Amino acid sequence: MECGKYQSQFNDYLNYQSQFNDYLDGELSPRERERLQSHLRKCLSCYRKWNSLQKTKELLSRLPELNPPSHLSAVVVARLKERRLRRLIGPFAYLPRWLSLGAAAALLLVISLTLWQVLLPSFSFRSLLSGQNDTFTMNATPSEPAAKFATTREGAQTPVPVMVLRVKDFSRADRELQSMLRSFSGPMVEEMEPIGALNSSSARLIDLRVPGQHFSHLLHELHKIGHLDQSQVEIHRLANPQRKKAIAIRIVVVGIRSDVEIRHLKH
Amino acid sequence: MEPAVLAQQNRFAKREEEQLLVERCRQGDRDSFAQLMRLHEKQIYNFTYRMLGDEEEAEDLTQDIFMAAFRGIRRFRGEAKFSTWLYRIALNQTRNRIKYLARRNFFAKQSRRAHYKEESPWENPEFLADTNPTPEQWTLTKSMATQVQECLNQLPPQTRQILVLRDVQGFSYEELSEMLSLNPGTVKSRLHRARAALQQCLADKVE
Repeated sequence: MECGKYQSQFNDYLNYQSQFNDYLDGELSPRERERLQSHLRKCLSCYRKWNSLQKTKELLSRLPELNPPSHLSAVVVARLKERRLRRLIGPFAYLPRWLSLGAAAALLLVISLTLWQVLLPSFSFRSLLSGQNDTFTMNATPSEPAAKFATTREGAQTPVPVMVLRVKDFSRADRELQSMLRSFSGPMVEEMEPIGALNSSSARLIDLRVPGQHFSHLLHELHKIGHLDQSQVEIHRLANPQRKKAIAIRIVVVGIRSDVEIRHLKH
Repeated sequence: MEPAVLAQQNRFAKREEEQLLVERCRQGDRDSFAQLMRLHEKQIYNFTYRMLGDEEEAEDLTQDIFMAAFRGIRRFRGEAKFSTWLYRIALNQTRNRIKYLARRNFFAKQSRRAHYKEESPWENPEFLADTNPTPEQWTLTKSMATQVQECLNQLPPQTRQILVLRDVQGFSYEELSEMLSLNPGTVKSRLHRARAALQQCLADKVE
């Protein structure tokens, strides 16, 4: 018998078919189950459909279980640790490796240079290159090494940078320097000490203590008086506006003709 | 002692161990998470494999599921079973991965590879190794599991997931309705439709 063939049995056919899934899942009541089983014994069409559905479910339940790779949990734990590390180093983690290494190297360089400048402010890289040390002689002619540092009159061990202004017209330059320093005394020049014994008609030495923040201004003004010698580079290096500490400096104004006199001073 | 009672006691012990591990994981203990993972990795890996039909992708997805589970374990309050909570994550991650792979034509390429294999049984070493390689026998010899998997791959992801969860992994309707946030009636009707679709696909293959 095939129940789906006749219109009169069509409702029964649909009803039985709708029960197949519940039957498969064991969700039919004993009475419904018995009724369906008895129908399946009689109706070939329904039996075929039921059999096919049952086979489908059986195929699914018999699918082989795969074993996950043995390293799976280890990989996940490693990824979790890596993720934690990335969170610790934050945004740098997502930069390319060469960029983060470069940034780190640059940062290290800046820090070490800053420390060098703070701890050894008088050190000059040029002196390293030219093989000179920190004991300099006063410069009289441009061909000779520049006189950059001298000791204070009190015989203190700290070297004082020396700025040599070689001028053609000594008397005029000396007048200008004196008036400029007078106008600056106070906030810009803390202490001014002319070294009388060494003053002459063609040379003058002055020791100054200048607050760090005004040092650049002073250099600028000194430029107007006469040209600076080779020591200017090292002296300019001291002109850091952030420095609060006063800077001691010795200024030597010398007429070009009195080079011999300067050589004398050296000794 | 009755075997049923023993089995129940065993289940309770396992559940307690699981709860302890979950509690440790919530405090950030990765080693406990590795232990917890070992309890569930086989089930999750098989689920992802049946959903994607590719071992490498399944492994990758399983890793992502457990990573997501570790990230969200503090939100797990123990109201549902841990496995149900884990499967919710797995379902979300799988849905996203399927979308991602579909955008990259992964399933189309997979289907082409399968089609090529199917058309050339004589080039298939598995087939040649068989002692009785007649065309009638082929559907039986050429790993029936592969054919079922191919049919699963052809079904829409929603249909596939309900079949895998119920008929492959054996979850109950209650568990399914909790995982999928659907009422049991909807789960049932979707499952019936899914079985019919798979039945049709397998029938087409045999013909």
